[in-house]
Amino acid sequence: MTALAWTVFVPELFLLGAALLIFLLDSLGILRDRRVELFGGLATVAIVVALVGVLADLRFAPLASLATVPAGVVNAPWTLLGGSLVAVTSFGLVFQAIFLTSALLVSLASLSHPSDQKGAAIFFGLLLIATLGMTLAAFSADLIFLLLSIEITGISTYLLVGYTRRDPRGLEAAMKMYIIGALSAALSFFGASLLFSVYGTTSLATLGGPILYNTHFPPPLLGATSIALLGYGFLVVGIGFKVTVVPFHAWAVDVYDGAPSDVSAFLAGGSKKVGLFGYFLVFLVPILLSGRAPPGLPPIPVGFHVLIVHFGLPLQVVFGVMAVVTMTVGNVLALQQTEMKRMLAYSSISQAGYMLIGLAVATSPAVAGAVLLIFAHIFMKAGAFIVVGAVAGLGVGSRITDWKGVGLRFPFLGASFAVMLLSLAGIPLTVGFVAKFVLFSAAVQAQGWFVWLAVAGLLNSALSVFYYARVLRVMYMEKGEAVVVPIPAGAVAGGSDPPLLGVGGIGYGRAAAIGVAVAIIFAFGVYPQPVLASFQMAVNHLLQVL
Amino acid sequence: MSGPLNALFPWAFLVPLAPAIAFVIVGLFGRRMRRLEWGGWVAVGGAFVAMVLGVLIAVGEMLSPGTYTDRSFNWFTLPGNGTGTFPNGFSLVMGTLVDPLSAIMLIVVTVVGFLVMLYSVDYMHRDTGLPRYYAELSLFLASMLGLVLADNLLQFFLFWELVGVCSYFLIGFYYQRPAAASAAKEAFLVTRVGDVLFLGGIYIYFQQFATAGPGLGWAAAGFPFVFHGAPFLTLLHPPNPTLFTLAGLLILGGAAGKSAQFPLDVWLPDAMEGPTTVSALIHAATMVAAGVYLLAVTSVFIGFSATDSFAIVAIGGFTTFWAASMAMVNRDIKRVIAYSTVSQLGYMVLAIGAGFTMVGLYHLFTHAFFKALLFLAAGAVIHAVDTQDLFKMGGLRKTLRITSIGFLIGGLSLAGIPPLAGFFSKDDVLSSVYTAAQTHPMYWPFFVLAFATVFMTAYYIFRVWFLTFSGDRPRDPTLPPAHEAPWTMTVPILILSGLAILAGALVFVPQIGGLFTAGVGFPATPGVPPTYTTTDILLSVVSVGLGAGGILTAYVLWGNGRVFSLAEDSAAQPIRRLLLERYYVKTAVDWFGLRVVYAVSRFLDFVDEYIIDGTVHGFERLFSELSIRLRRLQSGVVLDYAAYVVVGLAVFLVFLYVIVPAIPALGGG
Repeated sequence: MTALAWTVFVPELFLLGAALLIFLLDSLGILRDRRVELFGGLATVAIVVALVGVLADLRFAPLASLATVPAGVVNAPWTLLGGSLVAVTSFGLVFQAIFLTSALLVSLASLSHPSDQKGAAIFFGLLLIATLGMTLAAFSADLIFLLLSIEITGISTYLLVGYTRRDPRGLEAAMKMYIIGALSAALSFFGASLLFSVYGTTSLATLGGPILYNTHFPPPLLGATSIALLGYGFLVVGIGFKVTVVPFHAWAVDVYDGAPSDVSAFLAGGSKKVGLFGYFLVFLVPILLSGRAPPGLPPIPVGFHVLIVHFGLPLQVVFGVMAVVTMTVGNVLALQQTEMKRMLAYSSISQAGYMLIGLAVATSPAVAGAVLLIFAHIFMKAGAFIVVGAVAGLGVGSRITDWKGVGLRFPFLGASFAVMLLSLAGIPLTVGFVAKFVLFSAAVQAQGWFVWLAVAGLLNSALSVFYYARVLRVMYMEKGEAVVVPIPAGAVAGGSDPPLLGVGGIGYGRAAAIGVAVAIIFAFGVYPQPVLASFQMAVNHLLQVL
Repeated sequence: MSGPLNALFPWAFLVPLAPAIAFVIVGLFGRRMRRLEWGGWVAVGGAFVAMVLGVLIAVGEMLSPGTYTDRSFNWFTLPGNGTGTFPNGFSLVMGTLVDPLSAIMLIVVTVVGFLVMLYSVDYMHRDTGLPRYYAELSLFLASMLGLVLADNLLQFFLFWELVGVCSYFLIGFYYQRPAAASAAKEAFLVTRVGDVLFLGGIYIYFQQFATAGPGLGWAAAGFPFVFHGAPFLTLLHPPNPTLFTLAGLLILGGAAGKSAQFPLDVWLPDAMEGPTTVSALIHAATMVAAGVYLLAVTSVFIGFSATDSFAIVAIGGFTTFWAASMAMVNRDIKRVIAYSTVSQLGYMVLAIGAGFTMVGLYHLFTHAFFKALLFLAAGAVIHAVDTQDLFKMGGLRKTLRITSIGFLIGGLSLAGIPPLAGFFSKDDVLSSVYTAAQTHPMYWPFFVLAFATVFMTAYYIFRVWFLTFSGDRPRDPTLPPAHEAPWTMTVPILILSGLAILAGALVFVPQIGGLFTAGVGFPATPGVPPTYTTTDILLSVVSVGLGAGGILTAYVLWGNGRVFSLAEDSAAQPIRRLLLERYYVKTAVDWFGLRVVYAVSRFLDFVDEYIIDGTVHGFERLFSELSIRLRRLQSGVVLDYAAYVVVGLAVFLVFLYVIVPAIPALGGG
């Protein structure tokens, strides 16, 4: 067992420290008129430092040396009772980098909200706390620790959704998210307690493996495996809330629509991913250990029996069905949307369906493909929400038909949005295509019924082109000025006031965030090998550890 | 073995990169530059860097011949899951390959490319859209160099397609002219036929080699297709000869499209609608050579099939004669040279088919210089008199002295008059076909056609020379007074004149000749120029005699301002008309297109509109209905949402507790 060096927590300390500093400065009332610049700058710097720290833990790129991260061993691969709470794996570090990147994109974009001085402390402070929760989740070696970290993120995001306070729609969305979130959290913890009752531990490396039970106390009423399965059922539902899996997705549409665009960007780009990470961490063990004992099984104590369980296939079927249903329902519902943000919300739900294919197939290339899609999704979907925020800030209405001529009137925003939509649709030369390609071909490689997952994914991708292309047509082909409507105060943070900073009236920070997103979509669309290889190694590392 | 310049080989990728960077700079900022020619100088700079580096690498290859590959750039790895055909994943590696073949091509492409680029700066100065021109020409050069250095067929194909796209843009450079726009489309469509065939050939090779197995240890090593050199040679026992023959024919189809071989030759003469510089670079010296180069690099496999070899010989030999015959009557200076290109490409293909790959390359090498020279000289003429009609010109040797001498040198070289470059290579082609025909009697007819073409070649090129430069004054008095071109145009002409004289004899320098005799990786082809026996000398004498006869005939008919015209009732009139109408191939193609293709497309349109679109609309309606129904579930009431969560949970529990135990396959039962 390797002792963890405290230095791996430096990024988290920075996030926490910056958040506390922001709240402190806010209550002291320093620089009241420049709070966005001050707090936003602080938050951005803290996130950048944290990101650099994480990359340093990964020994900086080329990331090829991932597998040799010194602390990169799950501390307790097989513990009977107890085990450590946290472990550093390269898989977790990669996800930390993903979370921090999405937070960075959002905080960069939000630097352009000079009109929203009042909410600045809440926004940037909570953004940091939510990010802190996500990065902690990435260190989890224990189910309770994981769920608690996810809860930190959850509670901060409920507040973020309603942070402007003036906008009733935002408040309604926050309330809805809170209610469903609380329900889901309850279900998750109940599932965790069921698993604990069977395994006597909540160590993630042990859960889902062989069950150890005392010969004096035979398996309880329904049988140990049944109870464990029940626990997993509750966890599928509880964490599925974050991932926006159908039918636990309904809140997401109202919330993505009602929340300020940048918060929607963070929900789609960041907090959804922590749910997926939780899925991987909780379910890869029972799927992969199905029917076999983990390597390095220690001697069984006297008076105990070991029960080998077969959870793998049922769970894979569950995730396969969920993947197909989620992507199909998301796409079908996106077809008829008239509101831009609702369309993006449904598209985000369908993308979650594609990502679940990785969990259903559960081979190393499939998981790597899913991670690549998760990575890509930051830039396409969070980027798209950031563009929507910018366009709304320029006074264009929120309906898709209001976007007539946007592509010609605002060439930079229009072209960027087009690139993001094409990437979402999976058109070649974008990273969205590469991710889907790797994911689907992994499903095909796995043979058997997994091939049908790839088929469903392909058909769904074809279906999704309908609604993405419709937006492109409206932006570029349809005549007419972009419709300018009065914006309800606070609907888009900073929307009603003229921005202070330049670049076509959208602000430098936002322009930079959009530019970076587009550049990455292209760069890794043309030459994906660096990220793909490092994800592959991180996944292999995780699978070896299991 | 390693020479002093081998250290450069890992940097070979910089050769295509330099013009690619020029492309990006000119493409992005060309229009914002204060003077548009600056973009031209950037492009010239890119080409210059490529030339210096390319020639140095070629010299390095001369000093220590061998096959050098660098496969360190892993473009993309599709992860594998430990089973199946690619257990360790499947990598697409972009590599560079330096060997005698690519060294020869590097010299040709970079030198001609640089000279043409330099020539363009003044030639194009009157045109609009200059940044576009320089950007496209740079991209073309980059793609062509990428193709030359490619070490596997897939990478080759990527650059091949890029080259095709650039060619499309450049032929259609004057897109406002309908003829140019339609010529561009024609070139693109006709070469596309070849491209599809080529892709089919790649697929067969890929499929054959991939299934040939991980046992040989290279399924995981990347796209399993290094052209020549050790990795391939272990696999020379084709698993399926029929498929290999088919693959060879498909590759030949691709090469015929790019190199304008019969029957895919119609596009090249029409492609003369582009700027003359483009004709010189793309449609004489480099791009059309890509097809020949493809045949050369794949001749290792193709050469094994007697069927394929015969097909190559037949197509090459026939095209040689076919194109030369049409060149004899055309009155457009550029089109004559274009037909001549098709005809000369036929010679190269012929030599490769006969099994003498390096002889084909040798002719490619010399041809590139004298053909670029002819085009640039023709460009100078057009630049001076603003017409391409031979019958309006005349007497231009007085004003365009350098140009006329350059054209004369190019013509003599093309006609195969010793000791100019064309003599050596054409003579080698003829004697290699003669040698091959000893063992393959089927080759004799094509040898005869190729031999007859020598006379025709000399005749048509000197018909052009006499019509343009001899006589006292232009036949059309309205022509503007001609002036000799500026130095940026004459210097390339002079340099190319020097090369057109010397390039053939250069092979007698042992190091340069080594490139052509090394024959690295061609176990099946002798690859050595024929030894000079009495028969060979006799062949040379006869062919030089034929060439001289052609020149003499041209002089008698067209020299000193004479204009020869057939009598109206002459028996030769129908032949002349047949040649002018290009054997009615275009007419037939048009008729076929209008009647058959159009009818088929109308039928397909019907199918598309009612059956396919109907299905699509049906699905659209289905999904829309579904969408509307499902939307009602999105009530906005949070209690409903909570209910969905609970219902979802219930469904899972039913699945896990009722369905799973009932199905043994899921671990129940």
